[in-house]
Amino acid sequence: MDLTFLITNAVIVACIYGLIAVAVSITWSSLGLINLGYGFVFSFAGYGAYLVSERISEHPVLVIAAAILSGALAGILICLVVFIPLHDKQNFTTRGMIATLAISLIGSQSLLMYFGPRAKALPELFGFWKVEIGGLVLTSDKIGIVVCSVIMLVGVVLWMRSSRRGLEIRAMMMNPHAASIVGIGIRSTGIYVMAMTGAMAGLAAALLSQTYYVSPFGGLTPLIKGVSIALCGGLGSVQGAVIAAIILGFTEAATSRFLGGQYVLITQFLVIISILIIRPRGISGLLDKAREQ
Amino acid sequence: MSEANENKEYTWINPLGVWGAKGGNYEVTSNQVSDPSDVWRKNTGYKVPTSKVGRLKHYHIWDNHNEKLWKRLRWWPTRRHLLHVKGIYNRKTLNAEKKILDRRPIYWVICMVILFIGPLLFPSSMQSSLLTAGATFGIFAAINVCWTLIIGTASIFSLATYAVVGVAAFLTSWLSINFGMPWFSLPLIGAAIGFAMGGLIALPALRLDGFYYALLTLGLNELCRVYFTTSQEFGSASGGLYGADSYLSESWSPAVQSHASYYIALMILIGALVLFRFVNGKRLGRILRMAPEKREAFAEACGVDYKRARIQIFILTSAALGLIGGLYTAHFRGVAFSIFSFDTVLLGLAMLTIGGIGKAEGAILGTLVVVFLDRVMIEWGPMRHFLIGALMLASVLWLNNGYFGIKQQFNAWRDKKRGEWRSTRTEKGGEALPEEATEIDDKDDLYFRRYDKMQRDYLKTLITPEIIAEHKAKPLGQHSEALERVLLYFRRAKMEDKYALHRVGPDGPFKIIAFSGVRGVSPRVVEDKEYPTEEAGYHGVFMRRVHDLLES
Repeated sequence: MDLTFLITNAVIVACIYGLIAVAVSITWSSLGLINLGYGFVFSFAGYGAYLVSERISEHPVLVIAAAILSGALAGILICLVVFIPLHDKQNFTTRGMIATLAISLIGSQSLLMYFGPRAKALPELFGFWKVEIGGLVLTSDKIGIVVCSVIMLVGVVLWMRSSRRGLEIRAMMMNPHAASIVGIGIRSTGIYVMAMTGAMAGLAAALLSQTYYVSPFGGLTPLIKGVSIALCGGLGSVQGAVIAAIILGFTEAATSRFLGGQYVLITQFLVIISILIIRPRGISGLLDKAREQ
Repeated sequence: MSEANENKEYTWINPLGVWGAKGGNYEVTSNQVSDPSDVWRKNTGYKVPTSKVGRLKHYHIWDNHNEKLWKRLRWWPTRRHLLHVKGIYNRKTLNAEKKILDRRPIYWVICMVILFIGPLLFPSSMQSSLLTAGATFGIFAAINVCWTLIIGTASIFSLATYAVVGVAAFLTSWLSINFGMPWFSLPLIGAAIGFAMGGLIALPALRLDGFYYALLTLGLNELCRVYFTTSQEFGSASGGLYGADSYLSESWSPAVQSHASYYIALMILIGALVLFRFVNGKRLGRILRMAPEKREAFAEACGVDYKRARIQIFILTSAALGLIGGLYTAHFRGVAFSIFSFDTVLLGLAMLTIGGIGKAEGAILGTLVVVFLDRVMIEWGPMRHFLIGALMLASVLWLNNGYFGIKQQFNAWRDKKRGEWRSTRTEKGGEALPEEATEIDDKDDLYFRRYDKMQRDYLKTLITPEIIAEHKAKPLGQHSEALERVLLYFRRAKMEDKYALHRVGPDGPFKIIAFSGVRGVSPRVVEDKEYPTEEAGYHGVFMRRVHDLLES
């Protein structure tokens, strides 16, 4: 019973943070941008969903769609403000990272000024029902979180594999210079990538708001966890991010079960540090394949 | 080739004909030759508005020491000068002058004097808040100067700086509260803790690089935060650990206390600057700057042991940061959890970015701006952090390296623009460009190049099929005016690469060679083509020269 409970919790945590991790990973490998602005994207999407649920309707599909759309919007905003002016400047990697941090600072402060410091709650998206499979009780929100994030991830992977834009993004991942030579627009691809990854972060925000509240600085922990998972799995590798998400989700669930909730971050970072010391480029990152600027 | 002077034939009378040159003709039918002064007027006239050439000297020109011996101030006991002064000669007046090549020490002294007399300049209504902010500024600037050693000199993106300071501050506070450690022992204990932390964070730096290391240090920071905020001993209930021993006696009046804290914080800052100077400007700093990330292999090939240098810099700066942590405790009588928060790291990064990463002055200016906004403009509320973020974003978007990189960036931009403007107003052709001309000392050479260019421009107009046919028919002897002008120019060419005929056999054939222009270096053969007669050879040489003229 303990073990199954552990595994379900691990899968849920892995699903939410895995979304952000895959977003960070794709952004880095295709654009070369370490986007630390997902904290802002996360909060922005949460507030977008909150506004829709307050003003328009509490229908779960509408709320999730609002979160995804506002996440994509925030992603496009970061692309327009940071990526497009900076991508051809010297020292882009460091400057891009600092600029996204600055966006995150400005964005959180704006949200704080507009919505006030009080946290907001989103409606229950998945209702209150339970399913029992072989003695294992699964509540509605757990199933909803897993189903939504898996649909999103599969959708993104399929889109990247089969569409023209996905082909462009994959080409940028392989060799950005060659991609631009053969006529793939770096800036337009940047907008697609940031919109898509922003949508993923937005979905993660809507899903996480079932457990936590929406607040101006609420995106920080998911961001740090997402970036850690992405680096731990190896930047630029979707499989690595998924594996790392599962490992860290399991660590989180096991720690909160056996040691207590306050030790979650400590054990997680100890696991991350030990993984990175053994494999400096993450679980499935290869030294030669890592994008070097 | 000019078309204007066709069909206008006239008879040219050879002025030298009276000497009776052998085979020379005294009267030759010649094409009308255009006036050479047209080219002169065209070249000397200003077609586009031009600005003055050269650079304005905007520094003070110091007199020379004249007949006296040059007495220089030196840092005792070294032979190092206080200022980097060089004796130069003014290019234009040839007067002896002195120039201060590096004026930064003067600016440092001025700024330090302003900081020291600062409390006299503060308005009395804001005296206490400004003194408190000044003390905070001194300590944070010291921390950031040490951080610059890692993030700038060693170019390792470490975010664990505040974690080291925080751990040292928390442990020393705990020791002081529970075991009654006196304040003067706290910095030493802090330095020892920092030393140990330095070793701990240096080891992963040898294996990880770039953002992986940044993440690791951020994780370390988060780990410390969670550990200290959740543990009972370190005051998880009160938001920090307070009640440590301090050098500021409670019995002093508040004004004396705030002044003392201000000046002590400035002393800490000066100590950090001395450390920066002696690490960044000496052997260790040079080794580290030679082996930045991704160029380790090159440095290693040059015999630089960069791993050792990195461990050294981490241990050194972490010990210094631990010392600052101990002083922090002794200064504020304790420490709050906020030192570990992500916001602190973010604000610290903002401080470095605004001023420019890698420079001590950048770290200090950034700290000044951020601390002023954060601690003095408290009534602005959340707007402060918004402004700090906006400043950070603006400096990253538009400046390559913060405020202190503006000059370099502006100069590069100005040189680029100058190049663009220059290319719109100059014609190529061996003439010296205006900016290049100021650097050439032999001005005769400039005038020669200019004249030569005009002459070639003019002679190009004289090359017509007629004169080529005329030369082919009769290479030697008197020619028409146009051909004679061209031939005179050719004969006057420099020996370097001048063409000549080489007789291969006793009666020919002939080959074209070119002189090297250097005594003792034999001429080179220009082409394999052989000319059966001397006249054909002359014409071959002529055609090559015409070709070179038209190409130039």
